[in-house]
Amino acid sequence: MLADKMEVHFVKEKKKYFIISLCSLLSFFVIWYLVTAVFRLFPPQGFPDPVTVFKALIRKFYVKAPDGGTMLQHVWASLKLALYGFALGAVIGIPVGIVMGWSKKADMLITPIFHFLRPIPPIAWIPLMLIFFGIGQTAKAAVIFVSTVTNCILNASIGIRQTKDVHLWVAQTFGASRLYMLFHVAIPSALPLIFAGLNLSMNLAWMSLVAAEMLAATKGLGYLIQYSRMMARTDLVIAGMIMITLVGAILNKLLGMLEAAVVKGRHMQ
Amino acid sequence: MKSKNPLLKSKIEPWVYGTISVAIFLFIWYLVSLSDRIGTFFPNPFIVIKQFFLSFTNKIGRDTMPVHILYSLRRVGTGYLLGVLIGIPLGLIMACSKLGRAIFMPCFSIVRPIPGLAWIPLAIIWFGLGEKSKYFLICMTALVGITIQTYYGALFVDKTLIGAGKMLGANKVQLFFNVIIPGAFPNIFAGLQGSFAGAWCAVIAAEMIRSDQGTGWIIFNGMNYANTAQVLVGMLAIGLVGFIIAELLKALERRLCRWNIQGK
Repeated sequence: MLADKMEVHFVKEKKKYFIISLCSLLSFFVIWYLVTAVFRLFPPQGFPDPVTVFKALIRKFYVKAPDGGTMLQHVWASLKLALYGFALGAVIGIPVGIVMGWSKKADMLITPIFHFLRPIPPIAWIPLMLIFFGIGQTAKAAVIFVSTVTNCILNASIGIRQTKDVHLWVAQTFGASRLYMLFHVAIPSALPLIFAGLNLSMNLAWMSLVAAEMLAATKGLGYLIQYSRMMARTDLVIAGMIMITLVGAILNKLLGMLEAAVVKGRHMQ
Repeated sequence: MKSKNPLLKSKIEPWVYGTISVAIFLFIWYLVSLSDRIGTFFPNPFIVIKQFFLSFTNKIGRDTMPVHILYSLRRVGTGYLLGVLIGIPLGLIMACSKLGRAIFMPCFSIVRPIPGLAWIPLAIIWFGLGEKSKYFLICMTALVGITIQTYYGALFVDKTLIGAGKMLGANKVQLFFNVIIPGAFPNIFAGLQGSFAGAWCAVIAAEMIRSDQGTGWIIFNGMNYANTAQVLVGMLAIGLVGFIIAELLKALERRLCRWNIQGK
């Protein structure tokens, strides 16, 4: 599998070119520091030096100014919404997708509507949801729900449809009922794709949330970076971006751990 | 035993189901829009469809719908092209040269996990509220996906093919142009398709944040005036354009990677 090959590859490469990589990484920060703090090529409110950014990031954990919330409050506000919309989308989307993949009739009934809605990017739902639910938590959770549910439906249905006929025949030969086949053959073999869909949705959800918070919010990481921009606090903008990236990466990692625990036979392909 | 294999053909034609499902969808929408509470700000589907066609001649804001779409397309086209022009060479360099990988990979790994839309405030600070910041944002969104796909595509070109090329006496340059690039092409194309969706998403977001025209502006402006019909018309246009371009890219892939599809 590609992922495994990549890992092996990286481990080998890491040792070999570790030093050059380290130099490159260091020079990234050194150049950043030189252009901003030493040569002052950019105005500090346009492009602050890394030390200022780092200080701003640390300070944000206990200082509420200028946007009225500490970093953890913002993270929590965003995380709560993201997980809420994401969980709802997954809980509804995956079963619908499984039904679509399993039953041809359901597939033919749902797919046309689905094709109609899917090309609309999640961001484009924001205004409609804001009209419906007002500038509150519900609107943003709804945007995330929409973006999650479409990907979950799509991947679950493809995953179920890709179940190998031979496996189904074996189960049939041993007298498995249709329901038994669904739960013990089709769903387990669709799990890797379902998780791929969850992963994609998680990234999309996190990104859409940030965008939604930039447009209308009073808390959250998207609000933090948008507000800091208006206050010309670029150091806080970058600090917020770092936090958005970090939380996104942690969410991805957690999902990966869940996948490793749930999906069996991942390495047997 | 009566087999109910899902792969068995159903007797009723698919289009019958399709019509039924769309009809139900529109009917529910219509019913919802009839109710007093929601109907005031939620127009029925026929109004939306009518308005959509009217928008091709009647102006929304300053321009008609085709002009708005052209604005969005110009933005996404420029930013996306920039992303492609940077992303493909960057991916190829990182895949083919170990020195290049050691130099660029760490910096790329910093940029890679940043969600595309999180660049918006920084783009505005650096490039102002005009077109340049939109190009930057779209470029950053498209760049990451294209680079990753190109990188893995070129890195995992079938080793047998490379070996065969070497055995037949190809030098490094020949190997690069005649084996690695064609071998990586399907993956590169997957990257191009995947990042287009992201770029289209980014242009909508950029136009919502600050703009005077474009499809993203249509829905945001509609929201500000609580004009749901305009929002829905804009969403319809966004969905349609995104769909058409995705289909065009797929058709292009079928044409360019015909050998790959036949091989499978």
